[in-house]
Amino acid sequence: MQGTLLHRMDGTARRFVPFGVTLILMLFAMTPTYIPGLSHVTPMYALMAVYFWAIYRPDLLGYGATFSIGILEDLLAGTPLGSGALILLLCQRVVFHQQKFFNNKPFGIIWLAFALVAAGAALLRWICVGLVATSGFTPIGQMFTAYLMSVAMYPIIGWFLAKAHMKLLAQSE
Amino acid sequence: MRLPTGQISRFGTLKSLLQRFAYLSLIGLTGALMLIGKADTVLVERASDAVTDAVTPVLRVMSEPAAVVADFVNNLRELAAIREENAELRESNSRLLQWQSLAQKLESENKSLRGLSALVPEPNATFVTARVVADTGGAFAQSILITAGEQSGVHKGQVVLTGEGLVGRVMQAGLYSARVLLITDINSRIPVLVGEAGNRAILAGDNSLRPRLLFLSNKSAAAHGDKIVTSGDAEAFPPGIPIGQVSRVEEGGVEVEPFVVRDKIQHVRVADYGLSGILAQSPPALKAEAPKTEKVEK
Repeated sequence: MQGTLLHRMDGTARRFVPFGVTLILMLFAMTPTYIPGLSHVTPMYALMAVYFWAIYRPDLLGYGATFSIGILEDLLAGTPLGSGALILLLCQRVVFHQQKFFNNKPFGIIWLAFALVAAGAALLRWICVGLVATSGFTPIGQMFTAYLMSVAMYPIIGWFLAKAHMKLLAQSE
Repeated sequence: MRLPTGQISRFGTLKSLLQRFAYLSLIGLTGALMLIGKADTVLVERASDAVTDAVTPVLRVMSEPAAVVADFVNNLRELAAIREENAELRESNSRLLQWQSLAQKLESENKSLRGLSALVPEPNATFVTARVVADTGGAFAQSILITAGEQSGVHKGQVVLTGEGLVGRVMQAGLYSARVLLITDINSRIPVLVGEAGNRAILAGDNSLRPRLLFLSNKSAAAHGDKIVTSGDAEAFPPGIPIGQVSRVEEGGVEVEPFVVRDKIQHVRVADYGLSGILAQSPPALKAEAPKTEKVEK
């Protein structure tokens, strides 16, 4: 009896892994790294995580979870409320829609597709923030650098996410 | 056999319809939130304060390893340069001793002159020191989160400094945390004095590393290396706080290199100079306070 309860609790905890990992990555993007020049061009870590889970475990990170992470990010970062959540939701939807395309594709293709999705996300967020914020559009160069950083960082973050995926989720099956 | 299959497919269709409906609702909600954020900033600020207060302890723990690594690297760097630094310090110490004697002389002179002119002394500032736990940079907003809030006496509009100079000002203050708008943020506008001539200008951030000077009274007056300090206009900042120096003068504008290196900030001081400040209160609060000041004047 106790065994089954523990087993069930373990299963529930595992189901929260994608949400937890995405949340931690979102917070990680905000912690100071003390590396010169990096604070201005923080990569979009939350986007990477949402993209990853949308491909590999679409069942475990729903729209509601993505929305709440996006809203939390906006409230913490001081960016226009809703802009971060919108981008994450759109990214997730695009990947869900192209599930067949992503199926069993090599990493290079996944990375390339991320570069495309992230480009759309960054551009859309830039437009959203520019339209909503009272200060108007920020210089596009900053955003472009942040985008390049995101694409460059994806293999590293993707590797960590894949580790988390294999260790914590594959065991439960 | 057919009935259950039909039921399953019907259930599947219903589920996908529900999912689509939920998705569209959430997309609509993000749009609505963007509009609410534009219309009712106070509500969003309050929500942001509450969330920041709750998440700051987590960010504090998460920022610890990076701080330890940064300290270690700094220690190594300092250790390598310890000899040169020692020689430099000796030299600067002897120079400073000369300045100290000059300052003492000036202080006594100042004292006697103040006595003559019956000058009202400036109020002393009170300071709160806080740790930086989050650098919510990115390309869209330049702000940091610190571990002191209303409970420690940090209020909206207060000035934030490090030993090098001005960092920014408190933009939002929760109970246990506060958000500091950096001078590089696109929303930052600071009245400044340029160079020894003291030309007035506005230092405006644009989310890049170097803010620019706007409304410089005499463009040719700004030269490379000119020091920028706060002017104290509009009572948002006290006069004379060092900000940076002119790093580039060109047709398009004048760029300023801040003294404070953002990537190195670990602790900041929040100073309360007792300034009313144009940003300390929202317009209704100012209106409400207007009769009170009249009363005092009478």
